[in-house]
Amino acid sequence: MSAPAPTLAKVPSRTVTVRLADPAFTVACLSLVFAFLLVFFPVSFARIIQDRWLHGNLTVAIMVITLSIDACLYLRIAYRLAAKPTVLAAVCLGSLPVMVGLGLSFCLQGAVAYTLSGDLPNLQGRVGEEILAHTYLGLVSGIFLPFLALRLLQQFKAARSNRETESPLRKTASASSY
Amino acid sequence: MMADWMSLKWLLWISLYLILGVFVPWAASLAWADQHGSSLRPRPKQLFERGELGLISLVLGISVIWDLLQSHYMPQTRALGSVLLALSGTMAAAVWIESYCRNATGMHNSPERAWRDSRNLAFLVFSMAVVIEILLDRFAKVAAS
Repeated sequence: MSAPAPTLAKVPSRTVTVRLADPAFTVACLSLVFAFLLVFFPVSFARIIQDRWLHGNLTVAIMVITLSIDACLYLRIAYRLAAKPTVLAAVCLGSLPVMVGLGLSFCLQGAVAYTLSGDLPNLQGRVGEEILAHTYLGLVSGIFLPFLALRLLQQFKAARSNRETESPLRKTASASSY
Repeated sequence: MMADWMSLKWLLWISLYLILGVFVPWAASLAWADQHGSSLRPRPKQLFERGELGLISLVLGISVIWDLLQSHYMPQTRALGSVLLALSGTMAAAVWIESYCRNATGMHNSPERAWRDSRNLAFLVFSMAVVIEILLDRFAKVAAS
C-alpha cells in the first residue's frame, strides 16, 4: 500500500488573529490628521462638520468612514497573515460601527439639548464645539471599539478551547492515577 | 476663532511626557553604562521591549482625563472622552502585563511583538491626547468669549 500523498492532505486554514496595534496605528494617524485640520483650518473645518450635522448626514458619514476603514484594516491584516476571515469578525466589524455611530448620535443630541437648555453665554459656539468633539470621538470609537471587542472575543474563544483540550487530558491523567 | 501659536502649548506639555518618560530613562541608561565602564548602549527599542511604553501612555491618559473632567464640556462628552482614553491607556498597559506574565510563567514571549504593540498603542494615546488638548483649548476660548 502506498503512502498518502502529502499534497492531498487537507491543510488547516488559519483564521485572522487581530492585535490592537493594527487599528491603534490607523486611529493615531487619523487623530494626527484631525489635529492638523483643527490647527491649520480652525474655522472652515469646524464649519464643514457643523453643516453636515445641520443637514443630518454627519452620523451617516461617520458610519460610512468607520465601516470602510474597519473593512480595509481587517482585509489588510488577513492578507498579511495569509489567513481566512471569520464570520465572527464580519459580524463584529459590520454591526459595531453602526451601533457606535447611532449611540453617539443620541449622545450628541443629548449634549446639544443639555447645552441649549442651560443659561450659558455663546450657545452657538458651544454647540459647535460639542459637535466637533463628538465627531472626533465617534471616529475613534467606531474604529477602535469593534477591534477591541473582536480581540476580547478571540481571547475568550482561545481560552475556552484551551480549557476544552486540557480537560480530557486531565481526566485521562486522573483515571490513570487510580 | 483663529489659530495662534499659543494654541500649540499642548505640544510643549505633551513633549514633557516624551522627554521625561522616554528620553530621560534612555539617557540615564547610557549614563549608567558610562559610569560603570560598560559597553552597553541600549536603544529605546531595547529599553522598552517589554511594553513599558504602555505604562507611560497610561500616565499621560490619566492626566488628559483629569483635564477633560475639569472642562466645561457637557457630561456626555466628558464621559465619552474619558472612557475612550481610559480604554486606550489600559490596553497599552496590558501589553506590559501580558509580557510580564509570559516571562514569569516561562511561556513564549516575543519582545519584538511587545515593542510593536506598545509603541503603536502609545502612539494612539499620545495622538488622542493631542486632539483632546486642542479641543479643550478651543472650548475654553469659546466659553470665555
